[in-house]
Amino acid sequence: MSDSSLELPEAAVRRLESSAFSSGLTVPDFAACLDLGLQPVGLVQGFCVMRWGWYGAGSGYMRGMNPYAPGQQNNSGYAETYRCPHGFVSNEHRMWGQNLEQTWVEEAWSEGYGSAYRRMLDEAVSLGAHGVIGVTDRVNPLADTGTTEFHFLGTAVKVEDGPPPAGGVPWTTYLAGQRLTKSIEAGFMPVAVVATMASVRVWAYCMTEYLMEGSRGWGGPTSPYEVEQVSKAHMAVRQLARKQVRQQLSGDTLHGARIEVVNRELSQGDEVIDCTLRGNRMRRFKDFDDVPPPRPTVRLT
Amino acid sequence: MSANGAIDARAEMLSGAKSLAVASPPSRARGVTSDLSIDEALLLHGAGWEPVDLVCGVSVVSVPIGVWNWGQGEITVASVAHNAAVKGAADQLRDECIKVHGHGVVGVRVQVEVRTHHIDVELVGTAVRPIDAKNLPASPFVSDLSARDFTLLKGAGWMPVGLAFGASFAYAPRRSAGDVMKQKTQNIELTNFTEAMYSARESAMERMQRSALDVGGQGVVQVKVTEGPMHFARHAVGFTAWGTAVRLVAESHQFVQPQVILPLNDAVVAFEAQSLRST
Amino acid sequence: MTQPQDLPKDAAHRLEELEHGLFTSDLSVNEFLLVKEAGFHPLGFVMGSSIYHIGLQTRKWGESQELTKLTEAMYTARELAMNRMEEEATELGADGVVGVRLDVNYYEWGNDSAEFIAFGTAVKAEDGNSYRNAQGKPFTSDLSGQDFWTLMQTGHVPQGLVMGTCVYHIAHRKLTQALGSVGQNVELPNFTQALYEARELAMTRMQDEAGQLKASGIVGVRLEEKSHQWGSHTIEFLALGTAVTKTTGEVTLPKPITIISLDN
Repeated sequence: MSDSSLELPEAAVRRLESSAFSSGLTVPDFAACLDLGLQPVGLVQGFCVMRWGWYGAGSGYMRGMNPYAPGQQNNSGYAETYRCPHGFVSNEHRMWGQNLEQTWVEEAWSEGYGSAYRRMLDEAVSLGAHGVIGVTDRVNPLADTGTTEFHFLGTAVKVEDGPPPAGGVPWTTYLAGQRLTKSIEAGFMPVAVVATMASVRVWAYCMTEYLMEGSRGWGGPTSPYEVEQVSKAHMAVRQLARKQVRQQLSGDTLHGARIEVVNRELSQGDEVIDCTLRGNRMRRFKDFDDVPPPRPTVRLT
Repeated sequence: MSANGAIDARAEMLSGAKSLAVASPPSRARGVTSDLSIDEALLLHGAGWEPVDLVCGVSVVSVPIGVWNWGQGEITVASVAHNAAVKGAADQLRDECIKVHGHGVVGVRVQVEVRTHHIDVELVGTAVRPIDAKNLPASPFVSDLSARDFTLLKGAGWMPVGLAFGASFAYAPRRSAGDVMKQKTQNIELTNFTEAMYSARESAMERMQRSALDVGGQGVVQVKVTEGPMHFARHAVGFTAWGTAVRLVAESHQFVQPQVILPLNDAVVAFEAQSLRST
Repeated sequence: MTQPQDLPKDAAHRLEELEHGLFTSDLSVNEFLLVKEAGFHPLGFVMGSSIYHIGLQTRKWGESQELTKLTEAMYTARELAMNRMEEEATELGADGVVGVRLDVNYYEWGNDSAEFIAFGTAVKAEDGNSYRNAQGKPFTSDLSGQDFWTLMQTGHVPQGLVMGTCVYHIAHRKLTQALGSVGQNVELPNFTQALYEARELAMTRMQDEAGQLKASGIVGVRLEEKSHQWGSHTIEFLALGTAVTKTTGEVTLPKPITIISLDN
């Protein structure tokens, strides 16, 4: 869906209607912009606050905890089960554990990110812009877990004497200034800013719990031991993020990708791992020229 | 920038804009994902290599309880755990590189966290290969050299062969109360302490050297040495040494013959878009 | 137990491995290439350290004076660390050490004691000449790879890292003096005199060291001021630089191109 459900705030409409443009470009970036034949038309932003549940309705708290009740399993995402090698030990003994992809968290995140992004594009379209450069996207978790704000800021530009992009959807990029010029000269056209988030929950089984807590109660290993469940979860979350990004690329290239991983350790070896991957989606529009080998220099300052 | 340069950039921008003016059908091709900046991608291409994909390796190794209690000498269990975690992560990274048909991984970002009960190591980098290469090498290299440094070294006739790493943990030695009082007013070297720290540091360096020899390196560049007490146990000190093992593959070292330049800029801090935010 | 002057046995073992052909260096790739351009090859990463206990020294609250005991301690501790680093370099057969860094670490379990560390990369000339200094020891310098290459192009050779240190106590102002100047712009003669003297002492000592090396000059002088852990009225002034001498070779530095760079 391409319409955002919120209308632009009244103040935004007033600001965008004035004829003087504001831009978030530095002076060198502004100079490079004009060199490329890009005319800045205004500063645009988009904002969204999302909340997703941890407990109760709409949450995944009770999902995946009972392997014996089919239909409660999370079938659409990554899941890996671990079973305890001991016989019955006690009621507190965690007989099985699971690495679970939290698809509901990922959906909420991409909805929030997408809404904020589309609102920024709406502002750009109202200015008649062809693209948005120098985009900064800030994803800030607020006070309680599960509430996050998404804020986009960028400079809307028009390509002088250029055609508008197909479908009237402005192209966007994190780049500005010299880095953008170099990309264009190398034959890469920015298409969109791309970001995705993958989230995996580790429900630790007994072996993982003992290894992560360092307890030796029942005679656990006394030498270092790879905590397979947690390592696998970490690898999985990064692979999922990359797979999700590839689906959004549709054959284009992702440049300047940045992976950020945050993990929250909960009690008894459980943890939640969130991986965010962002980058510039670019499309080749000409072949590589032969770049002359750069001259190495020594500066005398 | 010359007048020619300005005209070219505009023309390119127009071509680019035109390429997006036509709606393109969705493609099934596998896109390249890389964490290289455009500068690095161009330099790499100039050297005849291209990025293939972003690859990661993670390993979490447990540290048994009681390891950090104050003892004497080296904390071997912790050192073994640390080295195992790094090796595990590097192996995973290499596996991912082989899966995407890369010849090596550059720009590896290393993140190590030592916690009370486990040591986590994360490696993230970009797999690269010679343009349109068909064959696969026996074992891809892993290096924390940036793509730029990789192309520079390659131009000089050297190639990276692997990550060289060594770690060691040691307890701070204790002084008896009598010694403390006696030494209070003296300027004196504390030989126990010196030796213990020396020993641990040299140990870490030696392990790094050995890991370089194991991958067939002739040298290690960009060695980074870190040391510091553990947050959760201030009497335990950890030392690590990292670097990239390299090997001369050309007949001899190729000299670069740099040009000397004198820039006329004053150093000035540019105003950035980020400062529009209050943070 | 080994003597403080000898290298610990772990160091000897590591250096042996380096002598068999493996080199290590903490030079960046840029520096590595420039060191090669200058006609040198890195041999190995060398370091020296010493954990030193710094004794108490009484001081008069109202007088500005040098705390000679502390000065001696800071100097001796650094010398020990530098000497051990030089010994490692000598063991490798090096002509010199570049990129020397001096660090001071404080650990919580050592009250009044600190670890002084000296790091650097040992290098050897590839043309077979010896570049050791007037005392026959490998030269040390805190020059980066880039500065080392540039220096060699100007026809100068480093002799050694020279340092002068002075730990100075600055008198506290008497209460009447403090009250008398409330609300006025006034120069504080105590502070001025104290800091002036302290800096001069540090720099003179540094120049004396250069004299001992029979150097013709000092480049890259840095003056550092730290209170370490003594409180704000006691400051250590450390003057560091690289002593150099002119070789008989002519200046080969090519004429620089002036540019105005357009990116940040």
